[in-house]
Amino acid sequence: MNVIDCRGLTKVYGGTKALNNLSFTIEENKITGLIGRNGAGKTTLLKIIAGFMRETSGEVEVFSEKPFNNLFVSANVIYINDQMNFPTALTLKELLNVAATFYENWDHELAMRLFDYFSFHPAQLYNDLSKGMKSTFNMIVGLSARCRLTMFDEPTTGMDAAVRKDFYRALLKDYLAYPRTILLSSHHLNEIEDLLEDILLLKDGKEFLHMPMADLKGWAIGAQGLTANVKEWIQDREVIHLKTIGLDRMYAVVRNDFSEYEKQKAREAGLTFSPVSSSDVCVYLTSKTKGGIDDVFI
Amino acid sequence: MSLSKPSTFNIVKKQYAYKLQAYIQVFMSLVFIQMLGILFSFNGVGMSGGGSNTLGVNVHYYSADIVIAFTIVWAIISAIHITTQAYRNDDFVFVTNRLSSNFSNILFLLTASIVGGITAIMSTYVMKVLMYVLGRTEYLSSPIAATEMIIGFGATILYVLLGTAIGYFIGTLVQLNKVFVVLVPGVLIGMIVLGAGSMNGELLQAVFKFIFMESSFALFFIKNVILVTLLFSSSALLSNRLEVR
Repeated sequence: MNVIDCRGLTKVYGGTKALNNLSFTIEENKITGLIGRNGAGKTTLLKIIAGFMRETSGEVEVFSEKPFNNLFVSANVIYINDQMNFPTALTLKELLNVAATFYENWDHELAMRLFDYFSFHPAQLYNDLSKGMKSTFNMIVGLSARCRLTMFDEPTTGMDAAVRKDFYRALLKDYLAYPRTILLSSHHLNEIEDLLEDILLLKDGKEFLHMPMADLKGWAIGAQGLTANVKEWIQDREVIHLKTIGLDRMYAVVRNDFSEYEKQKAREAGLTFSPVSSSDVCVYLTSKTKGGIDDVFI
Repeated sequence: MSLSKPSTFNIVKKQYAYKLQAYIQVFMSLVFIQMLGILFSFNGVGMSGGGSNTLGVNVHYYSADIVIAFTIVWAIISAIHITTQAYRNDDFVFVTNRLSSNFSNILFLLTASIVGGITAIMSTYVMKVLMYVLGRTEYLSSPIAATEMIIGFGATILYVLLGTAIGYFIGTLVQLNKVFVVLVPGVLIGMIVLGAGSMNGELLQAVFKFIFMESSFALFFIKNVILVTLLFSSSALLSNRLEVR
């Protein structure tokens, strides 16, 4: 069963297209990473899926229903981001109690154990929490709700390294015990890549890549050597990234789609190969301009 | 894990219970504003005096009118307040759609109106007690029949409810387009200050008459309920396409 089904989804914000003819499907019980640069449309996409916003054109279906203004979708989807605001009058404990009444699959024991583990005080107010503590509390709500579709938008904002690690571990453990569809948007792909099954890479509101994480790891390869050799070798190839090193050397990242024989020939020409991490691949793929920040400072 | 299939009724019930807890500030401000109203009421709403060579009589009238007026103002402001983005987003943290959110808001405002209306009328007793304590001993009060009392409660609650409906409608307009922040007060002030000159304030007077000068309680009840229903349902319709969070 497809949990999310998007066809030609477009969302226009004051003249610019935050989402531009986006089409993809997300299958049940998979953890998908939503990766993209700032302003790629990640949050807009998640808010449309959660039913908060209306699409400008195109179709989107969540559990085979249109999400906007839909009670059924709202009950089975939870969207956690760092701009959550809870009623200021309620204490943290009361907030968890309220959440428990709304979500049918809510696990209150888990919520309380996490609450104690991260040493929250029951009488604290949400607005008095620090940024990282707020994110941690949001995460507890998101995990304990056990919604069939759980979406975390930049869940680790402000969290320290230890809590981030705990969060990823908690997410994985709870997912294994209670499989569900999880969408996780993050800038730190290197932190979450072991967690993800699939990756959905957005660029300028369009789907750029949608593939299993394992495939992405061998998707590209880096080659380094003398500029002339590298230039000759990358002819007719899909070059993702180019960088000159020193005076006469060059580093190129290309699609990893050639045979062992071709590699062997390249090695003879003095090229050295190195694997490229998934997060680097994503950075190269989504770069908006040719060159890098170095080219700004001429 | 199975998919949960919520019913609107069920969610409205949960949201209503949640809002009674979460919007507690609304009731706190009611206490504050009514205390202020009682304080101002000590000036009296009217006074007459008379006398002869040997005797002087001054009669001061006291009533809860100011408290009721303050409560209506509180109703309008509170209703506007709960349509603001922060409050709306509070709804959408948990399970809801726009219909259930509006329904639970209306139920909450109805509750607030009942509490506000009853406490406003009851404030007369607070005033009597305070007057006794403060030493203005020579006061008379007219005994009220039970039916009058009930009509008093009913009418006050309806006025306060109308206030919340007007506030909710204005708040919804503002959420749709920020231009109403300027437009609504502009039109109101224009009608009172300028319109009063050019149109002899006929429109305003007609509205005032329609709502405040009805002598039959049954008619007043029907008029009010129709007005409130119209205002709330148009607010609900208008906000049904609103984007949140």
